Amino acid sequence: MATHPVPIGRPSVILLRLISWPYFRKHGLRTTLTTSGIVLGVAVLVGMHTANQSVLSAFSQTIDRIAGKTDLQISAGENGFGEETLEKVQSAACVGVAVPAIEAVVDVPGQGNLLVLGVDMTGDRSLREYDMEGGEDTVIEDPLVFLAQPDSLIVAKAFADRNRVARGSRLSLGTADGEKAFTIRGVMKSSRLADAFGGNLAVMDIYAAQKMFGRGRTFDRIDLAIKPGITADTCRQELTQTLGSAFDVQAPASRGTQAESMLSGYTMMVNISSAFALFIGMFIVYNSFATAVTQRRSEIGILRALGASRSQIGGLFLGESALMGLVGSIVGSAVGVLIASAAASAISTLVGDVYGVARQAMDVATQPLVLGSAIAIGVTTSLVAGVIPARNAARVDPVHALKKGSYQTFSMGESRLRAILASGLGVVSAACLTAHARPIFYAGYACVIVAALLIAPLASLGLASLLRPTLRWLRPVEGALAADSLIQAPRRTSASVAALMLSLALILAFAGMARASYRSIVDWLDTSLNADLFVMPSPRLDLRTTRFPAAMAAEIAAVPGVGRVQMFRNGRITFRDKPVMLVAIEMNSVAETNRREPIAGIAGAMYRLAASGQGLLVSDSLAQLQQLTVGQVLEIPAPRGGIRLPIVGIVLDYTDQQGSILIDRRLFIEHWGDDTVSDFRVFVAPGATIADVHRRIVDRYAGRRTIFVLTNEEARKYILKLTNQWFALMNVQIIIAVLVAFLGIVNSLTVSITDRRRELGVLTAVGALRGQVRRTIWIEALMVGVLGLTLGFAFGAINLYYMLQIVQRDVAGLRLSYEFPVTTTLVLVPAILAAAFVAAIWPAESAVRGSLVEALEYE
Amino acid sequence: MSDGRVGRVGRVGLLGRASCLALVLVAPAILPGTLRAQDARQIVGEAQKRTDSKSQRYDGILQTFDAKGKTSEKRWIQDRIGAHGQSKVVIRFTAPAEVKGVALLIVNHPDRSSDQWMWTPAIERDRRIALQDRSTRFFGTDFSFEDLEERDVDQDDYTLLGSEAVEGVDCWKIQSVPKPSKASQYTKAIIWIRKDNYAYVKAESYAKEQLVRRLDYGQISSVQGIWTARELKMADLKRGSVTRLFLDKVEYNLPLKEDDFTLQAIRR
Repeated sequence: MATHPVPIGRPSVILLRLISWPYFRKHGLRTTLTTSGIVLGVAVLVGMHTANQSVLSAFSQTIDRIAGKTDLQISAGENGFGEETLEKVQSAACVGVAVPAIEAVVDVPGQGNLLVLGVDMTGDRSLREYDMEGGEDTVIEDPLVFLAQPDSLIVAKAFADRNRVARGSRLSLGTADGEKAFTIRGVMKSSRLADAFGGNLAVMDIYAAQKMFGRGRTFDRIDLAIKPGITADTCRQELTQTLGSAFDVQAPASRGTQAESMLSGYTMMVNISSAFALFIGMFIVYNSFATAVTQRRSEIGILRALGASRSQIGGLFLGESALMGLVGSIVGSAVGVLIASAAASAISTLVGDVYGVARQAMDVATQPLVLGSAIAIGVTTSLVAGVIPARNAARVDPVHALKKGSYQTFSMGESRLRAILASGLGVVSAACLTAHARPIFYAGYACVIVAALLIAPLASLGLASLLRPTLRWLRPVEGALAADSLIQAPRRTSASVAALMLSLALILAFAGMARASYRSIVDWLDTSLNADLFVMPSPRLDLRTTRFPAAMAAEIAAVPGVGRVQMFRNGRITFRDKPVMLVAIEMNSVAETNRREPIAGIAGAMYRLAASGQGLLVSDSLAQLQQLTVGQVLEIPAPRGGIRLPIVGIVLDYTDQQGSILIDRRLFIEHWGDDTVSDFRVFVAPGATIADVHRRIVDRYAGRRTIFVLTNEEARKYILKLTNQWFALMNVQIIIAVLVAFLGIVNSLTVSITDRRRELGVLTAVGALRGQVRRTIWIEALMVGVLGLTLGFAFGAINLYYMLQIVQRDVAGLRLSYEFPVTTTLVLVPAILAAAFVAAIWPAESAVRGSLVEALEYE
Repeated sequence: MSDGRVGRVGRVGLLGRASCLALVLVAPAILPGTLRAQDARQIVGEAQKRTDSKSQRYDGILQTFDAKGKTSEKRWIQDRIGAHGQSKVVIRFTAPAEVKGVALLIVNHPDRSSDQWMWTPAIERDRRIALQDRSTRFFGTDFSFEDLEERDVDQDDYTLLGSEAVEGVDCWKIQSVPKPSKASQYTKAIIWIRKDNYAYVKAESYAKEQLVRRLDYGQISSVQGIWTARELKMADLKRGSVTRLFLDKVEYNLPLKEDDFTLQAIRR
């Protein structure tokens, strides 16, 4: 026997090749199932992040490509600014070239979104390259005709090819004055500019675009190139001083950063889902390795007897887990890319509808960093999962190596330790709940998760013991055997139960959040968004491209049956470096129609003050996210002088997930110089029917102007559809939960059957029927499902609370009520039990098909 | 726009002639460089003076020929009022139908770049052509917006490069470099001015030592005593394209109103 340690390196590789590899081959199914845990976790991580990054990347790419040689961009939120600003910018000492721009996304029926870029063609070529088809260097065939005729368009070749249009073709687009046919006077070849927005790009004269999109005399932004020798910072300072704080002066790339910031709440939910998926994967790996250590005790004992050191044994198992983690991560990354491809379009739609980031055709952008990180995380997760089993394997005493059973149980000491630790962590997490600081709150959340994981095996054991009499009553033989299997070897199944518990807890949290959000939004729709009809320039509530002239209010008010018309104007601004929605409403009128009490403030007084321009309202979500209170003075940048007013009320408002600031319409017109309207809210007069008024409004504008008139019911459906999309993530979680149940239970049962091979062989030898053996396995699987469901629901109730807190604090500022999702639990119970049963089919068959003689000889 | 007008010859008295003769004989020995510069400036100044009129009108036919031989034609009416270098010009397109009514207002200044606006009737909007945009081609032609401006003689520095015959006519060859106060896309120009009547016959424009445009003045004839080029041919040497402007029905000193040269007027 060797008295000194064998050098590390080559012997480890030998061990892997001679010991690990044959084990993997012999237990191929279990190895695959174990690896699947990592595959699942990594696939979700890669899939969700890649899809998310693809959306943001596509947005940033579009910005970059459209920017061309632009050094800085000047904007003032979505509402734009007056034309007079252009001259100020052009006369700045640091500015070499400054050109105005308007960007608008139009929905081309049957053909998707088209980004229309309005530019002043007399000077825009200084900043952007228009690479025209046909190898011409001219912008278009006849630039003067292009400018003289407001129906002129240049389109990207990709768009032209997709829609089978060419120079001279006509293209119908919806405008503020109704659907109009445009003439394509040029086609841009594939280039940086032409490939922006996935190739769905059109260029038109900026002044024609103003008319087309009802922009009055405003621009969306000014793109500029700095004079040589002057730095961007210097120029930015000069322009900020010249224009005032209402204007953002930033490099084009910053707009991509703003979009990222806007999506931070959504990204957080993606991270939580990914983290849970990885955690679950880790448990599956842990379960498998823990069981493997138990099963290979004799093998370990022999190795130790032959001179292998503890570190070599520990290293062997860690090496196996690392190898499994590596393989699983690579496969998971590949699966994740496939998921991203499938999900990218859905996520782009979700992000576009909920956050207003324009949807566009895009390729999935697989970033090496994301893939590399995912593989590293997967390997690390697998290593972490293998640490305890590896440590246990290293501690196996060669003399006691043949002992079984006792290793599957929990010793009294271990159980006590678990209980004490779990209790301690529970107390700590409760204390952390009272803290406002984010790190402490999340530390508390982590503590409660660890506490649940520590207590899960003990709880499983306890529940199994409680269920035994019932099972024995149902099936005296099979029920008792199944219950005993779980009670006598809790380690075998505790990890599967824990993984199932986590997965179900996440589902319940999301389901509870969705339910509460739904109720809150419906309540808001009933009390605040309670107009009978909505007159809009677009069928989509999220598109703010086109606006109406204010004069339409009087026209609509004159329609028979109309009792009241309210003008609603909204657009994003930058407030404290974050995009929030600015809403301009007629406060006096809204005061009379809104049936909801404010969250803070006195309804009558707050509307009166806001109407007279002495205050503003904020949404509860914004107040939560930015810790705002009534009385606090806010400074809001505006093109014609900033607004500095106190908050006079906090209201429930779901206009935008980023939160909203509500001011009186007159204040908006005064400070933005813009009286256009995003949509009109119509209240029907007593005695008139909604359907009749709807028809009359449509008839009033037929052939004159494109309008979309939605009933309150239709508007509600649209908004609730957006809410459903946001929570579509939950459907992914349900699938993951079912997969987890399946994988975990198959894994546990496979190990269980192998471990009990002799026992099952003895049963068969003394007369147990195959059906009885099968049923035993089935019942054991169903019990695992029941344990997982019970613990999952219990932990889910706690997890829901934390999730609601996270939503309120960090995601959307929504103050949602706690409602346990009973309906979801009723769906999950049969789903998980069915998955458990299906998972048991193959292990049950393998249990009854082995050789009886071999089973009796198995040790 | 330089339209090839050449002003009338002025009268000079006997004492003035003798003094001039003395100066001509003595001055080159004392101030050779200065005299040359003044000669060049004087020549250009004289050429400008001979084209002065209170007002002008013509019907223009603009033909564009690109490198592939594709042509297009537009017509306009140009009105001009005021002294050289501080005049106001209105160009109104009359054909084809798609561009009819589009108008351009140019207000020239002797000491700085001109102000230019464009009116588009179809959208009822005017737009200012920013200084930075002057290098842009004028609606697909080989003229740039800067080429439409009138340049006062004091906006450039001149150097006489000698004499050269152009199409058999003896001309002064003068180098013209924009003064620093005058923003220009060009770094210099070479102009040929006929010695017999001070009419421009050719101008070559350079950007950083590279010849980029050449303007030929053709069909020079006397209209109401003013030598006028009735054909202007601008060649963009980088693109290989040519634009021809034919001046028809040229009239000078007709009664035009100052009020017709405002932004409000072109909106009508």
